[in-house]
Amino acid sequence: MSHIHIDIQNLSFAYEEQQPILQNITLHASEHEAIGIIGANGVGKSTLLKLLVGLYLNFSGHIRIEEIPVEAKTLPLIREKIGYVFQDSDSQLFMTTAYEDIAFAPRNYGLPEAEVERRVTQALKLVGIQHLRDKQIFKMSGGEKKLVSLATILSLTPDIILLDEPSVALDPRNRRQLIKLLNSFEHLKIIATHDLDLVLDTCQRTIILANGRIVADGPTQELLTNRKLLEDNGLELPLSLSRK
Amino acid sequence: MHMADALINPTVAAVMYAASAAAAAYSIKKVREENNPRKIPLMGVMGAFVFAAQMLNFTIPGTGSSGHLCGGLLLAALLGPYAAFLTMIGILTIQCLLFADGGLLALGANIWNMAFYGCFVGGLLIWQPLIQRRLSKARIISASVVGSVITLQMGAFSVVLETAASGISELPFNIFAFTMQGIHLAIGAVEGLIIAAVLLFVYQARPELLAGAKAAANGSLTFEKALAFLGSAAVLAAGVLSLAASENPDGLEWSLEKVAGSAELEKSGALHALAAQIQELTSLLPDYNFQGSESAWGTVFSGLAGSALVLLVCVACCYAFHFFKHKTA
Amino acid sequence: MNKISGALTEINKLNSTAQGSSVMHRLHPLAKLLLTIFYIAMLMSFGKYQIFGLVSMSIYLFIGFHLSRLSLKEGLWRLRLILPLVSMVGLANPFFDSHQFVFGSQTLNAGWISFITLMLKGIFAVLASYLLIATTSIEQICYAMRLAHLPKILVTQFLLTYRYLTLLLEQADTISQAYALRAPKQTGIHFKVWGTLAGQLLLRSIDRANALYDSMLLRGYQGEYYYGGPLAAWNKKDWRYLVSIVFLLLLLRLLPWSLLYTKILGGKFL
Repeated sequence: MSHIHIDIQNLSFAYEEQQPILQNITLHASEHEAIGIIGANGVGKSTLLKLLVGLYLNFSGHIRIEEIPVEAKTLPLIREKIGYVFQDSDSQLFMTTAYEDIAFAPRNYGLPEAEVERRVTQALKLVGIQHLRDKQIFKMSGGEKKLVSLATILSLTPDIILLDEPSVALDPRNRRQLIKLLNSFEHLKIIATHDLDLVLDTCQRTIILANGRIVADGPTQELLTNRKLLEDNGLELPLSLSRK
Repeated sequence: MHMADALINPTVAAVMYAASAAAAAYSIKKVREENNPRKIPLMGVMGAFVFAAQMLNFTIPGTGSSGHLCGGLLLAALLGPYAAFLTMIGILTIQCLLFADGGLLALGANIWNMAFYGCFVGGLLIWQPLIQRRLSKARIISASVVGSVITLQMGAFSVVLETAASGISELPFNIFAFTMQGIHLAIGAVEGLIIAAVLLFVYQARPELLAGAKAAANGSLTFEKALAFLGSAAVLAAGVLSLAASENPDGLEWSLEKVAGSAELEKSGALHALAAQIQELTSLLPDYNFQGSESAWGTVFSGLAGSALVLLVCVACCYAFHFFKHKTA
Repeated sequence: MNKISGALTEINKLNSTAQGSSVMHRLHPLAKLLLTIFYIAMLMSFGKYQIFGLVSMSIYLFIGFHLSRLSLKEGLWRLRLILPLVSMVGLANPFFDSHQFVFGSQTLNAGWISFITLMLKGIFAVLASYLLIATTSIEQICYAMRLAHLPKILVTQFLLTYRYLTLLLEQADTISQAYALRAPKQTGIHFKVWGTLAGQLLLRSIDRANALYDSMLLRGYQGEYYYGGPLAAWNKKDWRYLVSIVFLLLLLRLLPWSLLYTKILGGKFL
């Protein structure tokens, strides 16, 4: 049995006392799963992802990543196993060239330079952007930056990938490329997004959040064809289904 | 107020680089002590922000002209004087390299004239004391305007001093100084108002940002403040007093001797010339300028160099002070 | 606004020229940096009447522009920011200098000579800096700075500021354009909204910086900024260039140019 899984139990979180964002979230995710987390704006999708990587530690309940509880001491360990792709690539990529950005993580973990180079090359290959290796980030298009963002987290060879609104700011072709790429990854993937069609194309399982709770958790095919369920929770049918 | 390389000679440039380097070294030390890694990306992005904000045209009501935002004081209010100083160094270096706004040799002088006064005089000596007691709209405005005006006055005056000490211009000190101070009085006031406007906005939207820098400042600042005060006062005093003391701020005698002197030197043989030139280039107080006669430029320059040396000694003592403090603690 | 798009264009232009592959481009960045500083220092060490020696220093620029295949026009265009102040200061010389240079039957106000030397110094220095920045990428310059033992935190600031420069310039541009569309008669931002507009950009920048910090944390950042291996290898070619140029410049600096005044022109300063 694989050790690659996420266990969340009774998770509750609030930025400020009176405004709870997440209430009593319980969920289990296993290896190779691709889960889409959907919900209306402000419902806490991004917050949930951020909690998984320990960007906020003042939560109640339990979060375990591969059996490791998320707490201050274990953060370096956890962050080796989970990669988080930000919604805004300009907040994710802060070095001047793609190579330097992708090399940032392995270097911080103390790997020797030859190994760093090997991993960067590997990550570039996985994402199919070897030609962007030495390109300067501020000159890149939105699509290129998104791909580089992906590569930056792959250089630590994580088991789990979290993506926050990955298809925002991507043109149709880039979006298609992203979908293909995600489908080729075997990692456990969790994608928080508005793009319901992306969820249809990449995730077998979908979780709907509303009012800080999980209101539905099941196969994508079931949930995303259920018009009433979606509309009751501030969503709509995916575009590709609503035209019929 | 960015100085081009043409306005400065190598010796003055070296002195100013040394002064700026000392201030930078001390700032790095203080920033490291703060041990707040979150500040690093903040400094970088703020640097880019100041750059971008400088490109915005702020029209001044009534006149047709526009003002712009410098940055030292604003950064000091948000980041504290030490982080602000380092950020300004980054900004000025990029301006110099990418936009030829200020020369590479004059970079040390530019850092001193704009960043040092902005962050340590404007930020540390003026902004902080005013804000420390109470943060209020009135105090923000007055601290910004007073801070900006004084900072720019000192910066402009330093430009005049450095140019004069470099001996490249016949422009009489009085005229140059008067023009520069006058122009920068107006610029300083406008800039102060712009900075005040931005800080007021921040105060209303996210007051904790201003309080953050304020909190970080609490503590043993008396030594640093004294240092900043001494350093700036020394530089100014040296310039002003030395000129007030001289009767004839006129470079006639000096220039004449310089030209005649060098012609003679170069005539008497390559080796002699070599020795003389090397001495010229490496001595801190080049004799060739003065040839025995006391001239205004001589005193001004000595004053400047002297002050910088005093500052260096002070900072060195500071290091020693902290070093011993840590040893005994 | 024009200033902003001008700045963005400048950054892009420099970026492309730095990607070239001329001899100059392939020189080690530290060699270029040291030489540029040395050259400018040499230039500024000339006295205000030492015009002949100064003119001879232009050889370095000729060599540089030839080796780098850069455009002289582009280099001269970069003078625009410092030219006003330098010209003003320089033009005072003919007025206030009471010396004359007498040669044969001609008398020339020495102030004109010092004016020309000042202008030449300004122009040559800017061109030398251009040679540096147009053939060396920012990353290479930072590498040279690290080799020169500049503190990591300063180099980090430099890189981060550069990285976010274009982004923030574009955001400032958007703000200006949006404003201009709703305030057609104004040429700039009215003081009533100074605070709000610049303040909004400031707060957004701070938020971005915080997100950046999260991004760095997630990738193991603990306060030390790591850089990789060498970006350029120092080899014999670099030594040869460095030594020969230094030798040439020192030679030009030390030649008795004033003999041209006295012996050949037969004049003297009064």
